[in-house]
Amino acid sequence: MKPRDHNPIGLLGMNGLLLRSTLVVIFVSLLASLVAVFYTAHVTHQRAYEHSQRRLNELLNTVESTLQVACFAKDQTLAGELAQGLLNNSDLLAVTITSENQILADKHRQAADAANNGPPALALNRLIYSPFDNQKQVGHIVLKPDLRVIEVRIQDEVRFAAIQLSWQLAMVVFAVAAVMLLFIVRPIKAMSDRLHSMDPTTGDRLPIPRRHSRSEIGQLVNDINALADRLVNTLAAEHHLRLAREIDERKYHAIFDNAESGIFILDDTGSLLSWNAAFGRLFEISETGPENEFAWIKISLMAWDNPDQIASLSQSALRQTGSVNDDLLIYLANGKRRWVNIALSPVGENLLQGIVHDVTPHKDAEASARQLVVTDPLTGLANRLGLEACLRSQIQEYALTQSGDFTLLLLNLDEFRSVNEGMGLPAGDSILQTTANRLLSCIKNGDSIARLSADSFGIILKQMTLTDVVEKICNRILEAVRLTHFVDGSPINLHASIGITRFPLDAGDVPNLLRQAELALDNAKASGGNTHVFFDPVLAETAEHQRQLQNDLRAAIQNHELVMFYQPIIDLRTQRLTGAEALLRWWHPTRGMVMPDSFIPMAEKSGLIIDIGLFALDAACRQLRDWQDQGLDYTLSLNVSGRQIPDGLSPAKLHEVITHYGISTSRLALEITEGVMLQDIQKSLHWLNEVHAMGLRIYLDDFGTGFSSLSYLKQFPIDTLKVDKSFVQDMQPDNNEHTLVGAIIAMGRSLGLQIVAEGVELPSHLAALSEMGCHFAQGYYFSRPVPAEEFPATADEIAVLLTKTAARGLQ
Amino acid sequence: MRLKLLFSSLLLSLLSQCACAEPVVVVNARNGVSQLSQDEVINIFLGRYRRFPGGAAAIPIDQPENNPLRAEFYRKLVNKDLNQINAYWSRLIFSGKTSPPKQAANSAAAIQLMLSNPGGISYLERDQVDSRFRIVMEFQP
Repeated sequence: MKPRDHNPIGLLGMNGLLLRSTLVVIFVSLLASLVAVFYTAHVTHQRAYEHSQRRLNELLNTVESTLQVACFAKDQTLAGELAQGLLNNSDLLAVTITSENQILADKHRQAADAANNGPPALALNRLIYSPFDNQKQVGHIVLKPDLRVIEVRIQDEVRFAAIQLSWQLAMVVFAVAAVMLLFIVRPIKAMSDRLHSMDPTTGDRLPIPRRHSRSEIGQLVNDINALADRLVNTLAAEHHLRLAREIDERKYHAIFDNAESGIFILDDTGSLLSWNAAFGRLFEISETGPENEFAWIKISLMAWDNPDQIASLSQSALRQTGSVNDDLLIYLANGKRRWVNIALSPVGENLLQGIVHDVTPHKDAEASARQLVVTDPLTGLANRLGLEACLRSQIQEYALTQSGDFTLLLLNLDEFRSVNEGMGLPAGDSILQTTANRLLSCIKNGDSIARLSADSFGIILKQMTLTDVVEKICNRILEAVRLTHFVDGSPINLHASIGITRFPLDAGDVPNLLRQAELALDNAKASGGNTHVFFDPVLAETAEHQRQLQNDLRAAIQNHELVMFYQPIIDLRTQRLTGAEALLRWWHPTRGMVMPDSFIPMAEKSGLIIDIGLFALDAACRQLRDWQDQGLDYTLSLNVSGRQIPDGLSPAKLHEVITHYGISTSRLALEITEGVMLQDIQKSLHWLNEVHAMGLRIYLDDFGTGFSSLSYLKQFPIDTLKVDKSFVQDMQPDNNEHTLVGAIIAMGRSLGLQIVAEGVELPSHLAALSEMGCHFAQGYYFSRPVPAEEFPATADEIAVLLTKTAARGLQ
Repeated sequence: MRLKLLFSSLLLSLLSQCACAEPVVVVNARNGVSQLSQDEVINIFLGRYRRFPGGAAAIPIDQPENNPLRAEFYRKLVNKDLNQINAYWSRLIFSGKTSPPKQAANSAAAIQLMLSNPGGISYLERDQVDSRFRIVMEFQP
């Protein structure tokens, strides 16, 4: 701290406290003494007169008795003597003694002159009474005082008083000045001088003047020192604060300048008041902020893709207390586009602070990710999400414009899976790609195609719901799909099924549209494929029916509504009943008996087949046990669905149940279809081998209807072939079926397999089959499937029938 | 000493009071004056105005100093004792303008003086008054 320039005040300087106070004291004293002198003069004057009067009175008192005598006796001589005596008093000018009407004496001082005639009021006039009767006036005397003499005496007295007073005042002034000098001015002067040169920051403090430790001066010094302490502390704190603030400011400035993010300040009119270098780089403007306030830039006038967005963003930021942010697209001078994320937060006084990031890479990545999400990588078409998004946007648009009806096609390649598995995945992929291209060529620009799953496609025909036009397009598509594919030179022929639903005719939302299209597709598939089906409410009803049935089936297992029926199987060589095929029947509480065709596919689809299979196994084993107990050596064949293999009906479970009922494994046969082979071949094969090793026999059911691949017969542990009833039923001498059945039997036999012919209905069938060397037969000729309790009766009937037949044969 | 004096004077005054005779102011019977006021008696005896109302000169005559009647007379007339009366006269005597009353050597001489002066005026005890005198003033009791 620099000491202030100062001009030390001399102890007696013009501005010195002492001089000033002394002058004041003198002035006041003079004033007081003047007043006092005047007052004293006045009082003295008064007193002098009174004194004079009193003396004259006293004078008169001393001569009164003589005066009385003189006046009583009217003695002029005596009166003259008296008057002369009185005149000896210097105060008196004249004496007049009068007795009744006669003047006894009238004496004047010689020196007196006319000018000295005082006012009559000042004359002393006294009545003289008789010495013998103080009621009786005998004369009077008049004394005239000598005013001049009195005045002179008064003046003397006043002068004396004034001098006295002046003396005293001078003493007082001197005393006051001395006391002030000693007790006030000198300590203050010392303090003042010390204070001038004091630097409180170095710990300099005022000493308390001697003998003043308890006086006001000591108090003052203490207060000044305390003030200095506080001042120094405050200064130090302020200094620290300023230093910290400077550091902070420098720090923030550095952050502001070096930030990678663009930082800016915006006012409520949308003008950019300041911005940092990153902001300048981001928008390719000056990197140092605006030059001056005329160089402010309106943020809404920048080349935004949508200037309304930034305006509304800043408006909402001004309305709120928190920050708002949005991604905005801006075009730069060279035509580049840039996505920026702007976060605005109010900082008071209608100002907004903004932070800008370049989010172009994020946006691009996001867009491509979004694209990926909705795109099928194999065909480049949209995927299910893409289709759903497209449907949603179509529906939304319709809601806004009330126009834009459309048709949704779901297309599924029939039996594509077998191609995929038979030819390998690359072949399947190639076919799917080709199909996608063919589909694209069938629709007009603007329609959408998506690949929903492996072999199903969704097609949106926009602005189109006319039935015949849609039909025409569907036919065109089916035709295109049917065109022969060539995979590695091999020709492959495929066809497809199409389910059709229309918006808003059939459904108003995406899930319903998809479900309806799937229902229609299922229907098309169910009717054999290579066709299209429009959604129909009946389909929905059917689906509902199916769903209901499925619920009922689930309950049926618990309610024991499922029962096992048995269809006898006849050994053609021995002409005896050798066993039966176990067949499920469902006693539905309201619909009556339901055939397996109606519920087994559903059970397979829903997984209920597992429970049903276990039930069937249990029932079959129990039946075998019953027969065994009755001494009957019947065999029983049980249908096994592909869905039960390998885990639904595990070898362990089979073993457990068979062991439980204590039956021979050789009595139980499992019937499988070729469909089992189409699943995971390795797993299926493993299961079959294991089961076969347990001693169970394996029947291949429905032989001739599927692929009937001969390689399977060699590969799998098959014991018996069951010729499908469709061949046997239609068998007539020398027709194709007859030949086919003969060929199957011959082939089976040559492979060492046993043959069961199903669907034997006529004696001619029986004869032909026997001739062909078929081992076993089953069918209505012998018996329908019957409940267990009817089986013994049926066995008896068959025995009779066989006897008859044998007799006829013998004939 | 002073107490004794006071006592004796008190006793004295008491005695004189007892023995007191009542003074009356008388003039020569030949004098025409029949009645005088107390003021007129004072003026005559104290030298202020020594004429009777008719204008004739009045000659006051005092009883001798030792006659108690004299003290009684002045006491009744102006309520002064003889010392005071003497002090009064001592102030006037030196100017010579007036003089104290003529003083008789004794009571009989006073009567004699009265009879020899027609203008004479004096005071007597009531029982001393006879046809040669006329009472002109009596003190109220």
